[in-house]
Amino acid sequence: MKNLLNGLSTPKKLAAIALLLGVLALIIGNSNNRNKISVNANEIALSTINDQDKISVNTLADWLIKGNADFTLVDLRTEKEFNEYNIPTSVNIKMEELLSSNLRRNQKYLFYGSDDIASAQAWFILKSDGYKGVYILKGGMNSWKNQILYPERAAIITSDDSLKFEKIKEVSLHFGGTPGIQISGQTTNTAPTQINVPQVPKLSTPLGTTTKKKKEGC
Amino acid sequence: MMPLYKFNFFGMDASLVIAVIIGIGFGFALERGGFGNARILAAQFYFYNMRVLKVMFTAIVTAMLGLFYFTWIGWLDLSLVYTTDTFLVPQIVGGLILGIGFVIGGYCPGTSVVSAATGRYDGMSFFVGFFFGVFVFGEIFPLIENFYNSTPMGRVLLPEFFGISHGMVVFLVVVMALGAFAAAEWGEKVRFKITGRVKE
Repeated sequence: MKNLLNGLSTPKKLAAIALLLGVLALIIGNSNNRNKISVNANEIALSTINDQDKISVNTLADWLIKGNADFTLVDLRTEKEFNEYNIPTSVNIKMEELLSSNLRRNQKYLFYGSDDIASAQAWFILKSDGYKGVYILKGGMNSWKNQILYPERAAIITSDDSLKFEKIKEVSLHFGGTPGIQISGQTTNTAPTQINVPQVPKLSTPLGTTTKKKKEGC
Repeated sequence: MMPLYKFNFFGMDASLVIAVIIGIGFGFALERGGFGNARILAAQFYFYNMRVLKVMFTAIVTAMLGLFYFTWIGWLDLSLVYTTDTFLVPQIVGGLILGIGFVIGGYCPGTSVVSAATGRYDGMSFFVGFFFGVFVFGEIFPLIENFYNSTPMGRVLLPEFFGISHGMVVFLVVVMALGAFAAAEWGEKVRFKITGRVKE
């Protein structure tokens, strides 16, 4: 046996090792199951209690105005809803395509649906799969509409509140919304244009697009 | 757990430094393998020096066995390793164009850089030519964009495509490589007997 090994040249020895490993691979079959994930339940429960992964719509509006772009805004609603109106710079990804849509583990993602439910589900799926930078837009699109696009203030307010509302109004107008004043249940618009039925503004900023080919690899 | 970059072991900046180091290592290995020489590379296409086939298949088998066993041990999540999406027809056409350029010029993009770095003029001119090609491609891209994105098949992997196990693919590729090595050695011997020509 020893003589046989000594008689072989190095390339032949390496070839024999490769063949051996190849045969072993045949026996092993599949090396992993990529859909099986392990979850650290404690860690997930903790971050739920701390509320640290939730971003309010006001913070988001602030980021968008300042052009803060170290996160990707992801719309989880249907394509139809997304095309009707979406928060500027967002991209549309379906829930079932989350894990296969090449989200990067080292980037931040802010999710929103109509309310909190879809984004919370997406948050859980991605957190369980080891994604770190996953955030939820508190209240989702409903909050965005109520607080950013169509903010309302009570008819009688203090001057302090009035100043605050002026700020909110500016933000609202920036995103094409219509701020209003609440008078005994009814709302009067303070914006120049009168829109009775809350109608979503036209999209002025181009939609975020998902790139077809990734800029990775050679 | 690998891939290290996707598991946040280092950031974008550090990854660029690592990429440069790996790139230099790759270039060094190519040069030492004789791949900075257009004659050796082009000889592959005329079957009188099978070095390209041997080196490439060795690299493929080594990397494949490494990836397979690392995944099996649990060091690597193979599903996170980037693979280019398949766009069948445009990639076949692109492969043919690259192949024609390879036969004519004697280099592929990577080896032309190696050759240029060792001071060869043919390598340098090839290098300039390939940047000219990139420029032309960029300029005409709007015209060919539809074709470029045609026949998309997504992420296609052989085990899933053929419905066989991962290990089976590994085994078949190893057998194919060993067969190719044996055939290459034999072919070189036969050619030497007939022509008396020593491989370069």
